[in-house]
Amino acid sequence: MSLMLDTLSLLVLGCHVRVQCQDAEIRALLVANYGHMQGSRGQATLQYTVARQARSGGFLVSRAGREPLSAADPGMLLFLFEKDMTVELEKLRPDLYFVHAAVLALEHAAVMLVGESGSGKSTTTWALLHHGCRYFSDELGPLDLQTGEVYPYPHALCLKDVPPGPYPLPKNTLYTARTLHIPTAALPSTVGEGPAPLAAIFFLQYRPEAAAPVVEPLSKAEAAARLFANALNPLAHAGDGLDGAIMVSARVASVKLFSADLMATCALVRATLKRLFWHEETKRCLQGQWPHP
Amino acid sequence: MNEPLDHPKRRVDVNVRMVDGEVVVLDRQSDLIHQLNHTASYIWGRCDGQSTVAEIANQLAAAFQVDADTAVQDVATTIRQLHSIGLLESLRNLPEGP
Repeated sequence: MSLMLDTLSLLVLGCHVRVQCQDAEIRALLVANYGHMQGSRGQATLQYTVARQARSGGFLVSRAGREPLSAADPGMLLFLFEKDMTVELEKLRPDLYFVHAAVLALEHAAVMLVGESGSGKSTTTWALLHHGCRYFSDELGPLDLQTGEVYPYPHALCLKDVPPGPYPLPKNTLYTARTLHIPTAALPSTVGEGPAPLAAIFFLQYRPEAAAPVVEPLSKAEAAARLFANALNPLAHAGDGLDGAIMVSARVASVKLFSADLMATCALVRATLKRLFWHEETKRCLQGQWPHP
Repeated sequence: MNEPLDHPKRRVDVNVRMVDGEVVVLDRQSDLIHQLNHTASYIWGRCDGQSTVAEIANQLAAAFQVDADTAVQDVATTIRQLHSIGLLESLRNLPEGP
């Protein structure tokens, strides 16, 4: 095995993650994805080694305390690394309520797009970044239940397909066999640098056959159930995570969004947010009036 | 012998919260979460293992001001749905007889 060339140090949700890369190509791949999170070289709380498998040409992701993960190609390497790191972050930060969601900010308010894989979270996020929204994440919404704030997790925006409409991919998009990754430096917006108060949640469902996107109200109970269903570490919280979901849904404006044409969907999201921002409950969230659980 | 659906009884080993008059039920056994609408929540609240479907329907008719036939149908349908999603005690959960 050749010598380790370089170490990549990340600061993610206050945790120091150190990745020892066997070669410059591996490091470049990880920098393209996590470049915005590069940070402190302090004592590592999570430590990885990423090396090449000599025979297969694939990769091996190693972390103390678990069996190494084998990845056949760069796309799988990013997928496995991301999955392992986020699970470990959930363990390291059990105080945060992790939601499988895209997160954007409009002005100083954070907005979550919650939906199953394939519902269009990343594609909608990519489009909304062209319409004045700031990027927090397209995958992970770490929420502080004490303050009502969401933390950024700004890895490269990851798409499964080339997006439709007037939102072309930048030149330095990273193409793997399974996914497209847009580095944060190539995004058309700025990136969130600190937590922002959660003001609204859109529960997203893609309806490609629909003529126009639609927003529908939903009850607090339904919002709580849907939010809980997308919580990643509910058991770390009171009431098996149900109380957290109920508290958030009680305080944050939530709607169902049936997306269609991307540009029309963005216009609808922006119009809905402007309307929601005038609600008293949203104003209270934005003013930091988030009662302790 | 009474069938469980004659005297429906809600499970007590699930995590239940009331949110704006609607019940949210977390069933850790099946790893599912359910949200019941107002009517279903009302019926769920009366599935105590003592009340019959007819008695629950009478209460529903009075509370929601619907006619008796509609109430019986609604309660029967809801009880079947609650049973099918595993939120009611079923025969396998009942103590065995002598």
